[in-house]
Amino acid sequence: MSNTPIIEMENVSIRYGRGPEVLRNINLSLQRGSFHYLTGKSGAGKTSLLSMMYLAQKPSKGSVSVFGNNVNFANRNALAMFRRRIGVVFQDFRLLEHSSAFDNVALPLRVCGMDEREIRKRVTELLKWVEIDRSTSAITSTLSGGEKQRVAIARAVINRPDVLLADEPTGNVDNDIAPKLMKLFVELNKLGTTVVIATHNENLIKEFRYPTIHLKNHSLSIINPEDGDEYAEI
Amino acid sequence: MLRSNTMRHRELPLSADSSNLFLKVMISIAVFLFAVTLAGVLSINSMLVNWNSSILGSLTVQIIPVNGVDKLKAKNETIVQEQRAVALLEAMPETQKVTPLTDAQLEQLLKPWLGDDVDLSNLPMPRLIDVKLKKGAEINFMTLAEKLATVAPQASLDNHKLWLNKLINFAGGLKMLALSILVLVIGITSGAIFYSTQTSLGLHKDIIEILHLLGAKDTYIAQQYAAKTALLGFWGGIVGVLFAIPTIFVIAHLAQQIEGGIINEAHLSWGGWTAILCLPLFSMLVAMQTAYYTVKRTLEKMM
Repeated sequence: MSNTPIIEMENVSIRYGRGPEVLRNINLSLQRGSFHYLTGKSGAGKTSLLSMMYLAQKPSKGSVSVFGNNVNFANRNALAMFRRRIGVVFQDFRLLEHSSAFDNVALPLRVCGMDEREIRKRVTELLKWVEIDRSTSAITSTLSGGEKQRVAIARAVINRPDVLLADEPTGNVDNDIAPKLMKLFVELNKLGTTVVIATHNENLIKEFRYPTIHLKNHSLSIINPEDGDEYAEI
Repeated sequence: MLRSNTMRHRELPLSADSSNLFLKVMISIAVFLFAVTLAGVLSINSMLVNWNSSILGSLTVQIIPVNGVDKLKAKNETIVQEQRAVALLEAMPETQKVTPLTDAQLEQLLKPWLGDDVDLSNLPMPRLIDVKLKKGAEINFMTLAEKLATVAPQASLDNHKLWLNKLINFAGGLKMLALSILVLVIGITSGAIFYSTQTSLGLHKDIIEILHLLGAKDTYIAQQYAAKTALLGFWGGIVGVLFAIPTIFVIAHLAQQIEGGIINEAHLSWGGWTAILCLPLFSMLVAMQTAYYTVKRTLEKMM
C-alpha cells in the first residue's frame, strides 16, 4: 500500500541495560520518499533512533515497523531482507578495513548474490563518481578519513535503497565535496528513496531545506523549514 | 581480470585465524587415530568372518570312556551317557542331524594310528557324536558344554571350537571398543571445531555485525566458515592418512610375525583401504557440517 509509512514507531522507548531511557515514548511516521534531517545535542539519542531504523536493535518498549512489517515479530531471514532495502552511512564508517574500497562498496550487492560483472560495472561507476577511482584496490585502512567516508556513502547507495540513513555523512569530507554528496542524497530522494540524515552541519540544513526530526530531553519533535525561528535554532 | 560469478568472496579474514594451525593438527591426529582404529576394526571383522565360518555348520561331542574295574559296566555307562547326550542335542532347535559314530566307524578312524592288528574291543574307546547344525544357527558353546555336563558328565565339546568361541567373544568386544574409539574421535574433533569456530565468531564480531547490517543472512556467514573449515578438514585428513598408512603396514608386519596363524587371518580388504583413503573427504564433511551449524546456532542468538 502506497500510504503505509515506510518506517513507523509507536510509543518507542529504549534503554541500555538498567540505565535511564535514552528515548521515551517516541512516535514517528516516515512516508515513502520523504527527506528529514535528524538533529539533537550529543547524547540526545540520534544514533539510538537511527539504529532502530536500520534494525540493529529492537526497542525496549513499543513497536517499530519497516515497510509495513512489525520488526518485533520478524524472523532473522525477514530482517536480512529488510536490511537489504536500507542503506546506512555510519558515523564511524564501519568499513571492512582489510578489504579494498572496491570490495567494500561491492559488499551489499554480493550479499544479494548479484552477478560479478554487473557488480564490477556498478561499483566502478559509483567509485568514479565519489572520486575514489584511483584507489579502488587500496586496502581501506590506508585511505584518509574523507576517502573512507565517501566509500561508506558509496556502499550505502550502491543498491539504490528504499531508505537511506546517514549519521554525519559529511563530517569528514572537504567543504567542496559535501554539497556534491548532499546532491547525491537529494537525487536519490527524487527517485523515491526515503532519506534521514543525522547532522550538526547548520550550513547543510540551511542550504538544503527539509523538515527536521529534533531530539530534545529524550523526546522528538518535527520542525519544518516554514517554522522560521524554531528551524533556525536547530 | 574479471572475477567469475561462481567465485565466492570471503569478507571474513578467516585464513589468518590463529586457531587454524591448532585445528589442522588436531584433525590430522584425529584422522590418524581414526584410520588406524578403522583398520583394526575392519581387520578384526575379517578375522571374525573367517573364524565364524570355521565353527559354524558342525560340532563334535566326545564321551570320554567311564573308568571302572568292571569293563562291561563301564562301557554300558559310557553308552548311556552317549544316549543322553544325543537326546539333548536332538532336542536343540539349532541341530539338523545328530549322528553317534558306530564302533566300526570309530575303528576306521583309529586305524591310521593303531594299525590293523590291534583289537579295539579291549580298549576303553571314547564315543563320538557328529552334530550337523542348521544353516545360520549360532550356538553358545559355553552354555552347551554346561548343559551336556549335567546329563553326561563324561561329555566334552571340541576343545578347539570352545577356545575359538572365547576368542570370537574377545574379538567382538575388541571391535566394540574400537568402534567406541571411532565415535569418541569424531566427538572430540567436532567439539574442537565447535569451540574454535565460536572463538573465531567472537574475534570477527564487528565484521559479522557489518555483514548483518548490510543484509547478509546467517547462511552467507556460515558458508564462509564452512568453506574454510572444510579445507582445514581435508588437508588435516590428508596428513593424518599419510601418517596412518605406514603405521598400519608396520602393525600388519608385526602381526604376521606372531606364530599360529590366528592374527594372519586378519587382513585389510581393498574395500577397507578405500575407506581409509576416503577419510580426508569424511573429515572434510564432518568439519564443514560442524562449523556450519555452529555458526548458524551462535548467530541465532544475535539480532
